[in-house]
Amino acid sequence: MMKKELGLFLLLAVISAITGAINPAFLSFVNLLNMANLIGLFGVFALGEGLVIITGGIDLSLGSMFALLGVVFIDLLTTYQVPWPFALMLVLMGGLALGGIQGFLITRLKMQPFIVTLCGLLIYRGAARYYTSDSTRGFGYGDEASTLSNIASGNIAGIPNTFIFLIILAVVLGVLLHRSVYGRWLYAVGKNEEAARYSGIRTNLVIATAYVISGGLAGVSTVLFVFYTNSVSPSSFGNFYELYAIAAAVLGGCSLRGGEGSILGIVLGTALLQVLQNLVNILGIPNSLNFAVMGTVILIGVLADQQLQARRRRKAALAGLARTAPRSKETTILQNASPRGAAALPTSAGDQA
Amino acid sequence: MVTPHDAGLAVLELKGIGKEFGAIRALHGVDLRVSPGEVVGLMGDNGAGKSTLVKIIAGNFPPSHGEIRFDGKPVHFARPIDARAIGIEVVYQDLALADNLTAAANVFLGRELTRKVGPFALLDHKAMAARALELFGELRSETRPHDLVKQMSGGQRQAVAIARTRLSNAKLVMMDEPTAAISVRQVEQVLSLIHRLKEQGVAVMLISHRMPDVFAVCDRVVVMRRGEKRADKAIGDTSPEEVTSLITGAKEAA
Repeated sequence: MMKKELGLFLLLAVISAITGAINPAFLSFVNLLNMANLIGLFGVFALGEGLVIITGGIDLSLGSMFALLGVVFIDLLTTYQVPWPFALMLVLMGGLALGGIQGFLITRLKMQPFIVTLCGLLIYRGAARYYTSDSTRGFGYGDEASTLSNIASGNIAGIPNTFIFLIILAVVLGVLLHRSVYGRWLYAVGKNEEAARYSGIRTNLVIATAYVISGGLAGVSTVLFVFYTNSVSPSSFGNFYELYAIAAAVLGGCSLRGGEGSILGIVLGTALLQVLQNLVNILGIPNSLNFAVMGTVILIGVLADQQLQARRRRKAALAGLARTAPRSKETTILQNASPRGAAALPTSAGDQA
Repeated sequence: MVTPHDAGLAVLELKGIGKEFGAIRALHGVDLRVSPGEVVGLMGDNGAGKSTLVKIIAGNFPPSHGEIRFDGKPVHFARPIDARAIGIEVVYQDLALADNLTAAANVFLGRELTRKVGPFALLDHKAMAARALELFGELRSETRPHDLVKQMSGGQRQAVAIARTRLSNAKLVMMDEPTAAISVRQVEQVLSLIHRLKEQGVAVMLISHRMPDVFAVCDRVVVMRRGEKRADKAIGDTSPEEVTSLITGAKEAA
């Protein structure tokens, strides 16, 4: 499993080195910090998306969630003058609640994750636009939430807080996913839900929890993005961001079939995406090619990974054959030692009614 | 009929089990006794009522009539968990393993061992691997705890599934077509696994279509047809030919 992450890290290093060699500005301190900030912003919700993808589901609603929660958040702070800790809490709870509703629809009412979250994408976006009459919401000249603003968009010793948040959340979720019983169940449910259920795991609860976590992280991301852009235009805020998260998770080794992926991989996947976007600018590639570059790299990355895995499987299968071949003698002897076994085998003529 | 004295020896005892699904009678008046360390083959054509019987014993649904006694006490299962709690395990045909996890992880799936680190309970990989290795040793299987299940042969997968039942010290293991989808050499491995269970005093019910396997490991064979038990004979008193004719209905009962 670590091989995948190592490969991704090497790819990231090689691309960075080449870009840096062509244009040293890429490796300048300012540019690196700028990238760290963006990696932080896009990484937080990619972690949640990754958990959902590991269950074998998908969450398409994240970008629209940012818009809806974003306009509500700004409205709470400016129009209603709610103290920022309450506004923050309400937005986080809003994210958890939206995730909970989606989880409920998917696990209890047995709807497909793609459909539920696609409808979420449409509904939340529509609600955000209706709520604001399609007008942009922003902070006035007052300092409604300067403390929170400093936390969300500030830096510690130059390192953007968003990046620090990402690292903290990645460590917490890494322990949850890779070291806790819940994480083990998440992998089992993602690969073989029936097996997990037979093992006494409450699969519905495990899956729904992944959507709740994803919703909660969407709430966190909303706050970070709001203070990054300082305003929210409901029709475009967060547009397509769920696709960045899905791309990062897939690049990072998550399989859309479920049961595979790691937190480190998702973080590296996010970093690679942001580096690609950045190098398009730095190398003077026309900005319009931005998405095309991203798509090409993901396609090649996933293809290469699949080929490598297939090769590894073939090797393992060959090694397995070599290992079991000498065993067969012993088992035949065991079999013959059982008197009934020896007597019964010749009667196989009477097999199958 | 079974005397109370004999009942003390049986691990599982069914009396007059019947099951109706609406107007369809799936099972009717099934009596069955299984003793510790006994391997009973359960045979019958598709739709004969084998699976219904197994599902009733496993707690998937309750019988419409009759009584189940386990270890001499009458039992009622609302859910499969209840059956598992008192020592009944089912090894399913499709094996119910998670391919992406290791052998040890699958053995402990749903029953993970944890160790406390501060306020958190984290997976205890070492203890689980050690215990899994012990279980595989008991079954004399070469399976390695850290191998991924997706890289394993059919026989090794069976070993993992059976090790799961040993973990809970099940008294009755029901195996649904364990030899249906694997190669001939691996069939022998699986049959020797059943011998290991028998040695440890576990009662085994083997549901199988494969006559040679049933005659190789079972002490007794029970034949179902049209929801009724048509025969219940010691292996030594019957022949594959007789069982075949019982299954097809060429012979009504024995």
